[in-house]
Amino acid sequence: MSAVLAILWKDLVSEWRSRDRIVAMLLFSLLVVVVFHFALPVRPGGGPPEGLPGLLWVAYVFAAILGLNRAFAVELENEALSGLALVPCDRGFVFLGKATASFLLILLAQLATAVAFALAFDAPLGRVGGPLAGIAALGAAGLASVGTLFAAIAVRTRYREVMLPLLLLPLLVPLLLGAVRATAELLASGRVPSDAIQLLLVTDAVFLIVSFVGFEYVLDE
Amino acid sequence: MSPDPIERAAARVSRPLGACLLALLVVFAFLVIQAPEDRSQGVIQKIFYVHVPTVLGAYLGFFVTALAGALYLWRDEERWDRLAASAAEVGVVFCTLVLLVGPIWAKGTWGRWWTWDLRLTLTLLLWFVYVAYLLLRSFTEGGPRTARFASVYGMAGLVVIPLNYFALELAGGRSMHPENLEGGSFGEGMGLPFAVGMLVALVAFAWLLALRVRIAGLRARVEEGEVLAGETAAPARGGAGS
Repeated sequence: MSAVLAILWKDLVSEWRSRDRIVAMLLFSLLVVVVFHFALPVRPGGGPPEGLPGLLWVAYVFAAILGLNRAFAVELENEALSGLALVPCDRGFVFLGKATASFLLILLAQLATAVAFALAFDAPLGRVGGPLAGIAALGAAGLASVGTLFAAIAVRTRYREVMLPLLLLPLLVPLLLGAVRATAELLASGRVPSDAIQLLLVTDAVFLIVSFVGFEYVLDE
Repeated sequence: MSPDPIERAAARVSRPLGACLLALLVVFAFLVIQAPEDRSQGVIQKIFYVHVPTVLGAYLGFFVTALAGALYLWRDEERWDRLAASAAEVGVVFCTLVLLVGPIWAKGTWGRWWTWDLRLTLTLLLWFVYVAYLLLRSFTEGGPRTARFASVYGMAGLVVIPLNYFALELAGGRSMHPENLEGGSFGEGMGLPFAVGMLVALVAFAWLLALRVRIAGLRARVEEGEVLAGETAAPARGGAGS
C-alpha cells in the first residue's frame, strides 16, 4: 500500500513541478471545443448540438490518451522505468499508483472540458453537475486502468504515440457505450439509467482486474 | 535448438491436411452447387455455406491466440508464443473473409452493405483488436518482450468480447442478422453442404495454422543461426508444397 502512495505522490509532485501533462491535456480539450464549434452546423434555434454526449466523451478519451502517453514517456528518462520494475512489491501496486495519478489528471481534464463545452455550446451541464461528475469518474477509472496498462506497453514500442490509441480504442467500446448512454439519458431526462451504470461498473471492474494482473508482465527489468 | 513438439506435429500434419482440404473443397463445391435454392432469397443464399464456416475459423484463431498467450505467460516457453502469433494471423485472415463475404450477402438480401447490427459490430471490433495485436507484435523489439506484450493484449482482447456483447445489446440490440441456427431450421438438402462447409473451414484453419507454425519455428531457428542449408531443404518440402 505504501508503494501505491509513494508512486502516486511521486507522479503528482513531478507533474506539479513540470505541469506539462495537464497543460497539454487542458489546451487540447479547449482546442477540441473550438474544432467542434467550427465543424458542426449552426443550429437555427441556438442551443447545444445534437449528439453532445458523444462529442463530450470523444474529447475526454483523446485528452486522456494524450496524458496517458506522457505518463510513461517521462519514465524513460534515466531508465526510471527499470527502476519501477525493481520496486520490491507486487507490480500490481506500481500499476495502482500510476493509474491513480492518471485518474486524477483525467478527472481534472474532464472538468475543464465540461466547463468549456457548457460555455461554448450553451449546454446545461451545470444543472446535472453532480451525477455527470459521477459518470465521468466511472469512465475515468476505466480509462486510467487499461490506459495505464497499454501505455506501459506502447512506450516500449516504436511509434509509441500512435500505438496507444490503436491498442486502446477497440477495447474501450463497452466503456464508451455505457458512458455516452448514461450521459445522454442524464441530459435528456435528468435521470441516470441504472443499466448503463451497471455496464460501466462491470467494465471498470474487469479493466481493473485485467490491468492489475497484466501489469506484472509489461515492465522490463 | 531442435524443432519443438508443436512444430514437429505441424510439419507432420500439414501435408495430409492440405491434401484433405483439396479433396473436401471439390466435394464442397459440388454440394453447394447441388443444394436447393432458398425460396425467398434465391441463389445468393448459397453464400451462407461460406460465410458461417469462415466465422468458425475466425473465432478459433482468436481463442487459440489467447489460450497460447496464457500458456506462454505461465510456462515461459517460446513455442507457445509462436503458436499464438500464428493463430492470430490465421484468425485475422478468416475474420477479414467474414467481413468481406458478409456484406456481399447483406447487399443482396438487406439491400445495404453494412448495418451497425450487434453481430456485425462485434465481428468488426474483434478484427480491430487482433489487427492491433499484429501491429503491436511488429512494432515491438526483442523476442521475449514482444511475446509478453502480445500475450497480455491477446488475453485482454478475449476478455472484452462478452463485455462488448452486453454493451451492444444495451445500445439497441436491433438485429437484422439471423439468430444462431437451431436444429431443424435448415431447408431440406441444406444440412449436408453446411456440415461439409464447417469441416472445410476447420481443416483449412488447421492447415494454415500448421504451415504458419512451421514458418515461425523455422524463422526462429534461422535467427539463432542454427538451421544449416541441408537441414532446411528436407523438412521444407513437407508442408510448403501441399
